[in-house]
Amino acid sequence: MLEITSVTKTFGGLAAVSEVSFSVKKGEVVGLIGPNGAGKTTLLNLICGIYKPDAGSIRFEGTEIAGLPPNRICRLGISRTYQIPQPFEAMTALNGVLVSVLNGKKRRRMSLSDAVFEASYYLEFVGLFSKRDTLARNLNLYELRMLELARALATTPKLLLLDETMAGLNPAEAERALEMIWNAQEQFDFTILWIEHVMKIIMKAAQRVVVLQYGKKIAEGPPEEIQGDPKIIEAYLGARYAQHP
Amino acid sequence: MVKLELRRDRIVARWGDWKSEWVIEPRYWRNPTIAITALFLLPLLVQSYPHILTMITTANLYAAIAIPLALQILGTARVNFGPQLYLGIGGYTAALLNLHWGWSPSLTFLAVIVVCGVIALLISPTTWIAKGLYFSLITLILPLTFLDVTFIWGDIFRGEVGLVGMSPLLNFTKVSWNYLAYYYLSLILMLLYLLVSDRIVRSRLGVNLAAINENEDVARMMGVNVDRYKVVCYVFPSILTGIVGWFIVHTFRTFAGVTYLPLEFMTKVLIIVIVGGRAFLYGAIPGAYLISIVEDSLRAVGPSNYFLFPLVLILLIVFLPRGEGLWGLYRKRRPRDYFPKLHVRRE
Repeated sequence: MLEITSVTKTFGGLAAVSEVSFSVKKGEVVGLIGPNGAGKTTLLNLICGIYKPDAGSIRFEGTEIAGLPPNRICRLGISRTYQIPQPFEAMTALNGVLVSVLNGKKRRRMSLSDAVFEASYYLEFVGLFSKRDTLARNLNLYELRMLELARALATTPKLLLLDETMAGLNPAEAERALEMIWNAQEQFDFTILWIEHVMKIIMKAAQRVVVLQYGKKIAEGPPEEIQGDPKIIEAYLGARYAQHP
Repeated sequence: MVKLELRRDRIVARWGDWKSEWVIEPRYWRNPTIAITALFLLPLLVQSYPHILTMITTANLYAAIAIPLALQILGTARVNFGPQLYLGIGGYTAALLNLHWGWSPSLTFLAVIVVCGVIALLISPTTWIAKGLYFSLITLILPLTFLDVTFIWGDIFRGEVGLVGMSPLLNFTKVSWNYLAYYYLSLILMLLYLLVSDRIVRSRLGVNLAAINENEDVARMMGVNVDRYKVVCYVFPSILTGIVGWFIVHTFRTFAGVTYLPLEFMTKVLIIVIVGGRAFLYGAIPGAYLISIVEDSLRAVGPSNYFLFPLVLILLIVFLPRGEGLWGLYRKRRPRDYFPKLHVRRE
């Protein structure tokens, strides 16, 4: 579905992402992990069109999407959430989702009231319907994350990019959010590429994990294998902790 | 035919599928209806004072400039500091074509739409390139440049004295009728702009514009074609402003760049938007009336009005509720509605 081949992006002299290639198959949940500054979010920004890669290609369902503007990429079926929630602060929760409903795919003839109806469905799905008239700036972190999820779902994505959805949530909330994402995947049938720092969650959720360090891919495989890999333990905790066989 | 039906509390008019209701008891009238009725009756009270009629006509025209400006600020997410550029372009186009080639007002109207549209379209890529303050600076410079042009090519534009003697829109035998007619024409123009802008803000397009005003990049990520909307939101209000210029040419029958292009005029328009409230469309009308009343009453004071007027404006900005303005004083908050903020972004 998504094929990334030797993508490179440099900021000045710093190679944020260099020669990374992996692919995501339809229906999979792929985790993208790595220490801070490893280039995970940059890679996500490259996929959804905020940055243009310096070299390499990103193909989504056979279409080259590197260098397309974000709105075109969104129409093709890639949607994302933000690490730091970025709601439309002065707009109500419902209005925020409404924007996605109206623009996520071509809906030339959809009336505003139909769009509101559909938006409220997504809001209901993530459990925020009672907060529909609350301004986004008055929501708490969990609600903001759920609003982001609703906004992303409302664009009817085929590939959902989650950027640290669990960061800052307490264990109970994280559990609920994970449940929500699984439900959503079951119902709306999309593929997930998931950046996460909370290992407990990502190891549970992902079928395959890609590990980045200093912008390079250092490992890829199912979570059980990755957990024992000394290279990854070295990347996260330093060489002292890695038990070499 | 239109069928009228008297219910217990209201009159219902039907015409095919179309239906309109009028509640009889005045306390249930909707306030816009009252305000519009008041604006239509106002000149009949002050009929015998031509200078007051001129003042409120000017107020209508200020509002007709401020309303498209508010729409533009909303849709481009940038503050345009030079809406009067298109006032100048529209005015000079109409005046020159009318004077030299003898085009009638209806022809110059079309010419103004075309010329303003083309020039706005050429300048519109600045909304993609320049962000925040830079956009404001560029738009600030443009009208001043145009003002210089009117001085440099003084034989065409007559920068110092202005162009005079354009053909009028209406010409009654009694002068006082002319004043009255021009008030009503300006009022209709202003209300038309309000209606159009209001329809835009409440439509699907309005939701997208609000998203752009809030956060351009996120909106783009959600599939909003930001670049296209920005161009539309730059060009369309510019044309509307140009039409005001055309109106001024054919009613006051004199047009000088010195009156409309300098910074003072821009300050007035921007302050109308701010005093009216949050760049909100309706706020422009009370704002415009307040500003022109203040301006007119201070004129009697003498030369000291040159610093008294700005002083009053500063006091208005400081003491009106921050960001809400006159409209915010009147209007109860309804969280369902979107209130655009007027903010100059750094990037």
